[in-house]
Amino acid sequence: MSRPSDLIQGTLDLLILKTLSTGAVHGWAIAKRIQQISNEVLQVQQGSLYPALHRLEQQGWIESETKPTESGRVAKFYSLTKAGKKQLAHELNEWDRLSAAVQLVVKHA
Amino acid sequence: MLYLNRLKLRMKAFFQPDQLDHQLEDELAFHLAEQKAELLASGLSEAEAGKQAHLLFGPVTNLAEQCRDTRRTQWLEDFATDTAYAIRSLRLSPSFALAAILTLALGIGANTAFFATAYGILFRPLPYPAPERLIEIDEGMAGVGPITTIRSLAKAADYAGYLSNNQVNLFENGDAARLEASTATANLLSVLQVSPALGRWFNPGQEQAGQHRVAVLSHRIWRDRFNSDPAILGRKILLNEKSYEVLGVMPQSFTFPTPDTDLWLPIALDPRNVGYMWGGGNLFAIGRLKTGATLATAQAEIKPIINRTRELYPWRMPDLYGAAAHIVRHDELLAKQVRPKLLVLSIATLLLLLIACGNVGNLMLARSIQREREFAMREALGANRGRLLRQILTENLVLVTAGGLAGLLAALLIFEALPTLLPKDTPRLNEIMAAPSILLGAFASLLLTLSLFALAPLFRRKKRSSHLSLALIGAQLAIATTLLIGASLMGRTLWQLAQIDTGLKSSGLVTAHVSVGASRCPNRDTCNAFIESLNRKLLDLPGAQSVAWANFAPLEKNSSNVASEIQDHPRNPRDPAYVLWQTIATPAYFDTLGIPLRQGRLFNDSDSNVLIIGQSTAKRFWPNQSAIGKRIRPMSDREWFTIVGVVGDVNHYSLEGYPDWVDGVVYRPLAASFSNLPQSMKLSALIRTTQSAMVQSSITQTLQSAFPGLVVSRVTTLDQLRTDSTTNQRSTAFLLALFAILGLALAIVGVHGVIAHRAAQRTRELGIRIALGATPTNLLTLVLKETILVSLAGSLTGVFAAYALSKYLNSLLFGITIHDPLAFTLSPLTLFLAATIAAAWPAFRVLGTDPALTLRHD
Repeated sequence: MSRPSDLIQGTLDLLILKTLSTGAVHGWAIAKRIQQISNEVLQVQQGSLYPALHRLEQQGWIESETKPTESGRVAKFYSLTKAGKKQLAHELNEWDRLSAAVQLVVKHA
Repeated sequence: MLYLNRLKLRMKAFFQPDQLDHQLEDELAFHLAEQKAELLASGLSEAEAGKQAHLLFGPVTNLAEQCRDTRRTQWLEDFATDTAYAIRSLRLSPSFALAAILTLALGIGANTAFFATAYGILFRPLPYPAPERLIEIDEGMAGVGPITTIRSLAKAADYAGYLSNNQVNLFENGDAARLEASTATANLLSVLQVSPALGRWFNPGQEQAGQHRVAVLSHRIWRDRFNSDPAILGRKILLNEKSYEVLGVMPQSFTFPTPDTDLWLPIALDPRNVGYMWGGGNLFAIGRLKTGATLATAQAEIKPIINRTRELYPWRMPDLYGAAAHIVRHDELLAKQVRPKLLVLSIATLLLLLIACGNVGNLMLARSIQREREFAMREALGANRGRLLRQILTENLVLVTAGGLAGLLAALLIFEALPTLLPKDTPRLNEIMAAPSILLGAFASLLLTLSLFALAPLFRRKKRSSHLSLALIGAQLAIATTLLIGASLMGRTLWQLAQIDTGLKSSGLVTAHVSVGASRCPNRDTCNAFIESLNRKLLDLPGAQSVAWANFAPLEKNSSNVASEIQDHPRNPRDPAYVLWQTIATPAYFDTLGIPLRQGRLFNDSDSNVLIIGQSTAKRFWPNQSAIGKRIRPMSDREWFTIVGVVGDVNHYSLEGYPDWVDGVVYRPLAASFSNLPQSMKLSALIRTTQSAMVQSSITQTLQSAFPGLVVSRVTTLDQLRTDSTTNQRSTAFLLALFAILGLALAIVGVHGVIAHRAAQRTRELGIRIALGATPTNLLTLVLKETILVSLAGSLTGVFAAYALSKYLNSLLFGITIHDPLAFTLSPLTLFLAATIAAAWPAFRVLGTDPALTLRHD
């Protein structure tokens, strides 16, 4: 099981932005979704998740809105801003480059 | 957009932290609840699920703190703390704060006021649409005929004609007043692109003589003389005893051609009136470049137009006619006269601000040395260097802001005084109070001050700061020397001007403008009889000794030139004629003004076709023979005039003499000249009296009670005229002297402060030296040596700076060169001595101290 601190710096941002690209989600659901999609490999701790969310919000890449969930409780939903979408595209690009580079080294070195 | 959003988020984080904290709590609580719900669903008991959820979640406060940190408002909060701390620490040393703030206020205030004035007068766009496309023809093209010709021929620009200071008499409700009228063409407003506030402007038909009895009023005269009467339109008013219909009222902001214009009258085109159409410079051109045209295209077409115009003249014009004519921007021509002076004053206030900053900088340095221990302590307790530096910066910022606010107040005070400090004919003086100018001036001064102080804390190392404070006083002394040299140059100019012999005895001479209406002066005999009766009244005034009349009083800078032909000096008609300065006067003129007769005789009452000329004129044209009996003919006259007398030279035009294109000075008898003077002419009465104050106060009343409706204006003395004619130099000299004295005072205070501080720091060292047997002279030399070196270097640098800068004063100086040796030696000497004395005082105090005491000194 991988802890977020073991993730390459900045990867958590990418995961959050990607998760939000399908629509507004609250913090708990973000953690759950990352966990599910990665087949339980990536477990995002709240200790990293919330500071990351607040930082992304302060940078203007995501914005938040408080509204009720399906269960009726009020939660803070995050969604991508225009600038956030751009940032996501940029980070995906970077990620592709990085992983391709790592692949090359791992396979051929 | 992204950055704006971020700024908004920061602001929200700074100003509404509670709301954000509340949201954060809710968010974390929600997460905890979801976690618990999940655990419950997996089959745990209520209590167990709660416990597990908390365990998984970790310490809430830690997490909340981490989230809060992402808002990055720390620096803002620090800044608020620093500001509060700075204000508190400044309040603990009120004398330092007060000295710094007052010094800054002085520098910033003067600088703001003069930057704003310079901007308002020199650079601020004129209040017309596209003012940069307004042009004028400078030098060589004037007159109703020439300007209307240009108007019809020009293709690159639309030209209109205007004339300022054309005075008329207004008779209204039995009261007579002299008004400043401006003559203009019908298309003036379309060129300026301005509309009347009320009614309308002249139409082209009203430019024709006979149709021209219409007037447009200024807002001021409409308000003051006609009580803002809305029914003024269509009313008839009496101007120069003729009835004029009021067509409209201009907006208050309209001040073309001068702010004191009371009303506008159309030109009166009349081809038969050759003198009016072609005889003189009674109309000037202002134009607006057409779309696509430039100054260059307008300039290019002016030459052929001038050539066409020359052919239209009823007499032959010299080949050089209009040769100097060139197109200039209207705003540049308007500011041409005041530009050097305002630049000099702006530079002076800038220098003053630099001295003020130097002083405050030195105060700050001294203070930071005093607080060395405090900072060392705080550093030891864990404050990081950047944080401490930021705190000093904040303190400086607080000081400069306070000084800036006080400076703005000072600037407003200076603005109040400016109209009296600057000559009345300064263009656009009425506009400089405008907010944009002041804000710009304040902004520029503050920015300058702030950028100077941003550097200051970088030098907060003990060793360097001691050299820095010496360097600062050196710079201050250099700047003060520059200011002092500038002020001395102006002072020397005033002195030179005061030494000028105008050739007349001006003391005890009262002068007044008297307008003689057409009804009082219909022909020569009635005119002379009327002047005689006025004379009798004037001779009854207290202490009156003699009375004379002339077309102008001396030193008023009135233009009175006549192109003439001179016997024995024929000129080719292709060349320009001689230009003679003409005074038309009564026989008593020479005695009353104290002008001595050198040769021949003065006028008598029956004279006609005679002239008197000035001494230098006689010498120039007839150097080796008598001028008496020689003849001169004005180009516009058929007859020749014979010279009957030669009198002493007089500076009629101004103290400095005549314009350089004047070839000579002539006098003609007034009695024979009434037919040559314009209708409703104005004459200057000149009264020699032993009680000039009494005469000044009673002359208007005396004349008007004897001759109702007579307009008497501009009552003054010749001494006053002489003073007024130097107002440009005097105001500059006064302001420069003020700045120089302030600069000198600040610099001396700075020197004294620094030397006193340094001496105090060295008390122990000096005590040891005394104990070891150093003589007082040794110690004095020790303390004074560096001051003397620094002030020597400072004053020398100042001399070099002044040497380079004095060229800006050139147009204001008189009788001395821009590198006047007296000003360039006395000023630095004064400064050097003052600085040495200022430094010697603390030095002597140190000598007086007891060595035993100083050794125990902490």
